[in-house]
Amino acid sequence: MGVALGKLPGIVERFPGGAMAITRLDAAINLARSNSLWPLMFGTKCCAIEMLMATGASHHDLARFGAEVARASVRQADLMVIAGAIVKKMAPRMRLLYEQMAEPRYVIATGSCAISGGPFMYNSYTVVRGADEVVPVDVYVPGCPPRPEAFFWGLLTLQRMIREGETIREPGIRRKPVMAALPEDVSLHEIRAEIRAALANENVIDVTQAANQKPWARKVREWIQRASLR
Amino acid sequence: MTVHVRTLDELLHAPLEADSDLTTQEYLVNMGPQHPIAHGSLRVVVRLDGETVKEVIPVPGYVHRGVEKMCEHLNYRQVIPYTDRLDYLSAIMNNWAVAKTVETAAGIETNDRIEVIRTIMAELQRLQSHALWWGVTGMDLGAYTAFLYGFREREIIGEIFEETIGARLTMNYIQPGGLMYDIKPDFAAKVKKLLPYLKDCVEQYETLLSGNVIFQERLRNVGIVDGARAVALGCTGPVVRASGVPLDLRATEPYGAYGKVQFNVVVGTVGDCWDRYYVRLEEMRESIRIIEQLIDGIPDGPYSTIRYNVELTLPEGIHYGQVETARGAFGVLIVSDGKREIPYRLHFRSPNFNNLWVVTAMAPGWRIADFISIQSSLDLVIPDIDR
Repeated sequence: MGVALGKLPGIVERFPGGAMAITRLDAAINLARSNSLWPLMFGTKCCAIEMLMATGASHHDLARFGAEVARASVRQADLMVIAGAIVKKMAPRMRLLYEQMAEPRYVIATGSCAISGGPFMYNSYTVVRGADEVVPVDVYVPGCPPRPEAFFWGLLTLQRMIREGETIREPGIRRKPVMAALPEDVSLHEIRAEIRAALANENVIDVTQAANQKPWARKVREWIQRASLR
Repeated sequence: MTVHVRTLDELLHAPLEADSDLTTQEYLVNMGPQHPIAHGSLRVVVRLDGETVKEVIPVPGYVHRGVEKMCEHLNYRQVIPYTDRLDYLSAIMNNWAVAKTVETAAGIETNDRIEVIRTIMAELQRLQSHALWWGVTGMDLGAYTAFLYGFREREIIGEIFEETIGARLTMNYIQPGGLMYDIKPDFAAKVKKLLPYLKDCVEQYETLLSGNVIFQERLRNVGIVDGARAVALGCTGPVVRASGVPLDLRATEPYGAYGKVQFNVVVGTVGDCWDRYYVRLEEMRESIRIIEQLIDGIPDGPYSTIRYNVELTLPEGIHYGQVETARGAFGVLIVSDGKREIPYRLHFRSPNFNNLWVVTAMAPGWRIADFISIQSSLDLVIPDIDR
């Protein structure tokens, strides 16, 4: 148990039968994969200008993060940046593009439209409410449209996820988190009342008791006693 | 003059023929919806004989979000952000179209300050849009350097927008009866400092790309469309002006502060891709000229003449208003029932839809590579076509 097993537990894991080399290779491969993402030229809407063109251009330089080789052919790409709303006519085509991409493949959904339908969530009869209903999404970058810096942060997050081996490989396993739903028999008023009570409790401080618990309290008590004796 | 455009069904069921001297077979090729020339997701079905394009059928609808139907549930202020997401490269001008229509219909008066700021912002965005188009055209035709230079200016103009408006792309700035925010005190100074730089940049564009032999060979005399046919297909903007038709809503029916300023309507002679390229470059110079005339004397006054929480109800009837965006005439048709503060029916007349169908007249007879330059010279924004 030298440096490798003792100090680098994340990279090398202890397995019977000497599986050490394989796990090390995985880490090396993940490192290489994370730093050579090849995005697909696939933009549907406004986000494409910001996410695919402005980031690749002169002011914000995507090449700093090793992901500037935008490919027009799906077979050569492994990162799909869903930039914009996906409508029902486009959804099967996007699924086809995803399945044609080289494995392992990663997906970043940028912008409100690709995350949840965004401004087209209500009253639209064509927009798919979130691209993750069609393909599994690794990283969501919110914004309408997100700034290029936000996209870079999403890209760095994806790279970190790849290095740690946390991306989703199998489509259909991850479920969309339902954020608006509450458990049964719980109302918003109850939650608000509970929060208010908790805040009230936390904000009321018994000053004397709090002061007695401090490390300097004993010295102060001794000093007061000495002063009163004198 | 009538124009017949075949549908995709007719094309697919028509017998394929080969009428060239060599024994070749015609075939159909899909370009898109995911294609680097699509600039989004436009599908184009091309009937080819060898490498020669015989017929082009555009198949739009891959970004159709039903914005017009959604707008029937929204009041007139809430319509404004959705126009940002049609032609996102001229978002401010789209906002202006809705604001102008509502103001005319409801009888809302604006002051000089509002109109001057609107004009300056619209011209800045026209510059930004044309700079982006110039870069992307260069990239489509194989000059990646142009892409980098075009985006350099886009970002510099974008900083001014960001400071005033707070957005980079979806502006939501021009409201019925005024503006969303007032300009900052140093806005005029910053724009004035920028103008000589932009002038230099346009000259730089000329030296970088215009004189290039390959670039000229790929654009000159390619995709010619005459003025009558362009008008029959409903083209507007630089596409129809390149064919020699001086149709510019800023000059023909002046709105905003365009009546006070001197500028030329740039018109081409041949109607080929080169003319469409050069008309846009000249328009950038004219835009700089317009801003130069207005930036010194921005009048004082409030930046909005009505309160934002007031409910706007238009009188019963059909109201139409249009402005000249970077790609042509963007019109808004509102049918109001006179009772509610939401439109009964709303229709956007988008310039890109008509500019797209002109490829059916331009492309036949040219090669695939020429088709790329033809489509690139039209400066299409796909979400504006599909809406």
